[in-house]
Amino acid sequence: MPEVAAIAKDLLERGVVKAVIGYAAAGPNRTRPFIARTAEQANALVFNRHALNNLAVFLTRRRKPVAGPVAVVAKGCDVRALIMLMQEQQVRREDVHIIGVTCGGVASSMGTPWSVETAAPKCAHCRFHTPHLYDSLAEGTEEVGPLPDRSGERIKELEALPPDERFAFWAEQFSRCIRCYACREVCPICSCEQCVADKNQPQWIDRSPTSRGNFAWNLVRAFHLAGRCIGCNECERACPADIPLSLLNRKLAMTALEEFHYIAGTDPAAPTLVGTYDKTDRQDYIA
Amino acid sequence: MTPPGKRYRIGPGQLAAFASALIADGYVVIAESPDGKGFTALKDGSAVAPDTERPPTALSMKDIVFPRAEPVFLYRKTLDDVQVIDPPSPPRGVVTFGVRPCDAASIQTLSKVFDWDYHDELFDTRAERTIVIGTLCRFTDDRCFCTSVGLSPSSTKGSDLFLLPLDDGGWILQIVTDKGSRFVARCLSAFSETDETGEDLVKRYPGPAVRFDPDRIRSWIPANFDHPLWPSLAETCLGCGQCAFACPVCHCFDLIDEADSFQHGRRMKIWDACQFPLFTKHASGHNPRDTQVKRYRQRVSHKFFIYPERFGEILCTGCGRCSRGCGVGIDIAEIVEQIEKTAVAESVARER
Ligand code: SF4
Ligand code: SF4
Ligand code: SF4
Ligand code: SF4
Ligand code: SF4
Repeated sequence: MPEVAAIAKDLLERGVVKAVIGYAAAGPNRTRPFIARTAEQANALVFNRHALNNLAVFLTRRRKPVAGPVAVVAKGCDVRALIMLMQEQQVRREDVHIIGVTCGGVASSMGTPWSVETAAPKCAHCRFHTPHLYDSLAEGTEEVGPLPDRSGERIKELEALPPDERFAFWAEQFSRCIRCYACREVCPICSCEQCVADKNQPQWIDRSPTSRGNFAWNLVRAFHLAGRCIGCNECERACPADIPLSLLNRKLAMTALEEFHYIAGTDPAAPTLVGTYDKTDRQDYIA
Repeated sequence: MTPPGKRYRIGPGQLAAFASALIADGYVVIAESPDGKGFTALKDGSAVAPDTERPPTALSMKDIVFPRAEPVFLYRKTLDDVQVIDPPSPPRGVVTFGVRPCDAASIQTLSKVFDWDYHDELFDTRAERTIVIGTLCRFTDDRCFCTSVGLSPSSTKGSDLFLLPLDDGGWILQIVTDKGSRFVARCLSAFSETDETGEDLVKRYPGPAVRFDPDRIRSWIPANFDHPLWPSLAETCLGCGQCAFACPVCHCFDLIDEADSFQHGRRMKIWDACQFPLFTKHASGHNPRDTQVKRYRQRVSHKFFIYPERFGEILCTGCGRCSRGCGVGIDIAEIVEQIEKTAVAESVARER
């Protein structure tokens, strides 16, 4: 299989795309998003266990940095985001060349050396080590044996708590939120031109980072992503307050699967979960 | 009163006893939280000793003097009257232990703007009531650049008292300001005066190599507002508030009204950030900084040109918090280095 840089160079040389959005090395065990516009710049593109960013974030209508066709380097989980964006009419299939990369897991944070112990929790339950949609496939990283499902265990622990203790757990977590919105900005699915948290006529959500506003913000965001979040966990990684946002998101994804047999970001032609009305949908939520 | 400059020897364990005694006396004692992410008020003094080999906290200590959210006033409304009520007074007697030089320096820098033409009472009261015990920092990574902005791992700027960590687990306590001297006077009987200056320690931790000359940046920026370099500098910036909120010296805030009901509510002062698209959006819908490139240019300009011009201080302590926490790996020191490279290349070209 060719490497990312070779595919990117070829696409740019042939003028198939105007830019390739990929990863460049950025110090020990770190990469960062990099936009290559020339074949020469494409030499800087890499893929490794530290290619954490979900680059689909750069393809939403509010962000796309380059007009015209672009290529994007995408792991399986990132491809899910691209598909979700297609399902929600943010991205047109023909406008993006997906350079899929095989991915056997990434480290949990930038700067952390890769090992089975430091693998990002999401990789433990990944079904998309080879991306399910791509235009070119690049050589990435190998799958390792089973990884410990740490987030699954934590969700079980939380589910076992009585409701008031679970409430207390989240109240403590949300109390640390400073409302920097890094979670929202790094999220490919938070594509709204104007977020409900930024609306003030009426003010749906208190803007101050105090308990009421923080609860409203974090819960509204989680619900707005129910059935849409593809579990890249970029929000949690970007959060300076270390709030375990992935637990909320994964719990909602588990519910979407159990109740509606729905996995976000698998089929570009499928209708979205929250955007469909089905007469056979369960009614007993509305008590 | 013990004059500033005097030094005392604190034995291993004595720092914890000192902090416990302060807590017993009703002081709010604040130190780095156990996970090293921020600062937290301690229940007892046992965990007060700073681990200065760890990276600096993700969020700075500015929250103590410039909280992320604080009421400016409360109000009560009836159908024909509005009553304005003073906010609760900030706590008295706050002591912050183990503040790194790149964090402690912020209070002086911040007071330049909060005490400029208008005196911000909330900030002043909190700053006045806070004792900052700084510490020599034994950590350096490739994000640190305190030495490029006039600080170092041993600078005492902003500290009232300063700790030097000795190899035996003890400390040298240096008195830096009169305020620190008055505060500590009552406890000094427990410590012995020392001639040790800790100079060897200071030498052992010189900090990161100097990376750029801020004066060169300061003169380049105003002459190059529309330079083609800007769009290439931070083109992947997502416009979140992480960098500004984590920064010890970013100080933008918004004033908002929050109602609990028709009758009650409060006006809140909350952190704001120039990287948010809404920050400069006018009511008309016009936004003078309508692209992220313009917003990032503002961030760099404010720190390395506007603030130095107006207040004689760089609005950056070189702590690297913004870079360590950035979701897309934008490193402000690298960006400033790129500006310097361009400035040097252009001046060489001009001289030819
Ligand atoms: S979730 Fe899957 S595709 Fe995504 S980083 Fe982990 S292993 Fe790779
Ligand atoms: S909510 Fe978080 S995990 Fe889900 S898509 Fe957005 S960034 Fe990824
Ligand atoms: S990134 Fe974390 S701290 Fe920032 S708004 Fe989101 S949850 Fe709050
Ligand atoms: S530089 Fe990084 S932290 Fe700052 S606004 Fe941009 S993306 Fe957010
Ligand atoms: S701009 Fe960055 S490096 Fe400078 S003081 Fe702020 S957080 Fe620290």
